[in-house]
Amino acid sequence: MAGINAAKYMLGETVRMLKCGKVSNLISVIIMGFSLLVLVIFILVTLNVSMVIEKGMGEICVYVYLEDGVDNKITEEIRAELLGIESVRGVVFVSKDEALEKFREQLGKNSDILEELEANPLPDAFRIQMKPESNTSLAMEKIARTAAEWRGVDDVRYGKKWVERGEKLVKGFYMTDFALGLIVFLSVIFVISNTVRLSILSRRESVEIMKLIGATNMYIQVPFVIEGAIQGIVSSLLAMALLWGACSFAGRYLPGLGFFRFEGVVGFVVLCAFLGSIGSFVAIRKFLKR
Amino acid sequence: MLVYEIMPGEKRIIAGVYHLSKVLGRHFALKDINFQLANGEFVFLVGASGAGKSTLLRMMYMDDIPDSGQVIMGAYVSTRIKRSDIPRLRRKIGIVFQDFRLIGDRTVFENVALAMKVAGTGITEIKHEMTNILTRVGLYHKRYELPGALSGGEQQRVAIARAVANKPAVLLADEPTGNLDPMVTRGILELLFKINSGGTAVLMATHDVELVKSFGQRIIYLQDGKIAKDKEMLFRGNLRESISNSRVDHRVKKFTEHSIGEDDDGKRES
Repeated sequence: MAGINAAKYMLGETVRMLKCGKVSNLISVIIMGFSLLVLVIFILVTLNVSMVIEKGMGEICVYVYLEDGVDNKITEEIRAELLGIESVRGVVFVSKDEALEKFREQLGKNSDILEELEANPLPDAFRIQMKPESNTSLAMEKIARTAAEWRGVDDVRYGKKWVERGEKLVKGFYMTDFALGLIVFLSVIFVISNTVRLSILSRRESVEIMKLIGATNMYIQVPFVIEGAIQGIVSSLLAMALLWGACSFAGRYLPGLGFFRFEGVVGFVVLCAFLGSIGSFVAIRKFLKR
Repeated sequence: MLVYEIMPGEKRIIAGVYHLSKVLGRHFALKDINFQLANGEFVFLVGASGAGKSTLLRMMYMDDIPDSGQVIMGAYVSTRIKRSDIPRLRRKIGIVFQDFRLIGDRTVFENVALAMKVAGTGITEIKHEMTNILTRVGLYHKRYELPGALSGGEQQRVAIARAVANKPAVLLADEPTGNLDPMVTRGILELLFKINSGGTAVLMATHDVELVKSFGQRIIYLQDGKIAKDKEMLFRGNLRESISNSRVDHRVKKFTEHSIGEDDDGKRES
């Protein structure tokens, strides 16, 4: 019975806090919402850029060129060997005729120069797609070295220079991104914890009185914690809504600009609810400990 | 563990301060304070400002701990009380302050009800009791007013109503009339006497010697952190007849015999 009364009381107090502190809550939510907006803009930009990078890196393939006139058996052996390598996701056989066709397409108008050829000078080849997690120059180098030794393999090539430069660039980007992200994250935490602290400070007197009339810390804390969670939810939704608006506007000029997936949005809101309640808990805890 | 002396005339010590000393800064705010409070007693704690009255009361509702000695409030002992037991103690005593300490954005009703809610009382029972309590302090008709709309005397009545809402065995009042004019003071004192006649022991701190002299209650004089005089020392002097209302009712029993840490009626004879 006492438990039910306590729960009723705590919910009642929360509703009361939300109702009575309408203006201050609104201000808090707006401040938090905009701070979170900075954070989500940052995350979204990072995700989009890294998506572009991934895509670019994914287009880099290793080509294994076969010797001229290699029979089918050896070709199949090579395919099997390649598929057996850990970092390889898939192997596509490109016959010399296909290669020539492609070359012809690439030449376009100038393709008539190919007519001069007596025979197809291009070799059969395997195009290797790397697994995304091992799409590194190191893994490619390894494949190149190994495969070059095999019977029937003429040459192995990949855009070595390109891959290495790309990797450096990506590394630089992620490091800068991480450092900036940390700064943004810390300032968001700082702004939000200050907002929470101020809201508790403004109710210092009633908290003081509650203590004097025998309210347990639980009775005092729980409404603040629920309020913190609600503020977290509302402000994160606000941030997401603003970002979505900005995104659909920017999407007109930046086609292919991606937004968070639904699960991502839900996850973010849940995380903010959690952080909001934790923030309130820590702030009120500090206050009660005095 | 604790020994409560059951005295003739159904007296029981419900609060005691033993060899209590407290240093604030470099000086003794309180030095070797000893007194006991029996159920149903009305005691004035008199001293000039700075004599240590508030400090003493603060230690009685365990907002502060003595540097040496101990305070026993019912079944709670200052040297042993757990942090989580302090709210339990506060729900069983009433506290009144000079500055009322009402929550400004809550109505009279809500301010008083809060004390009961905090003690886990259901809303039906609160509503039921509330009529009674607010009528007793004469503010039933103002139950939906905010404290700001009330006079000082009325605000103090609300504070007193809140303090007695949980039917405490002891009421601690720290200069309850300090902010009020003489006429209103009279009314507040009468209210405190009325509450006392209902069986609640009252310890009221005040700087106004003249005010309290006329009532013939026990007076503890506090001077420079020491007890200068305790008129009618309990056990030594004869117990006053004005304390005839004192009986060891269930409140007193519950307050003094309660096993610490429990919230139900743990039966334990002393």
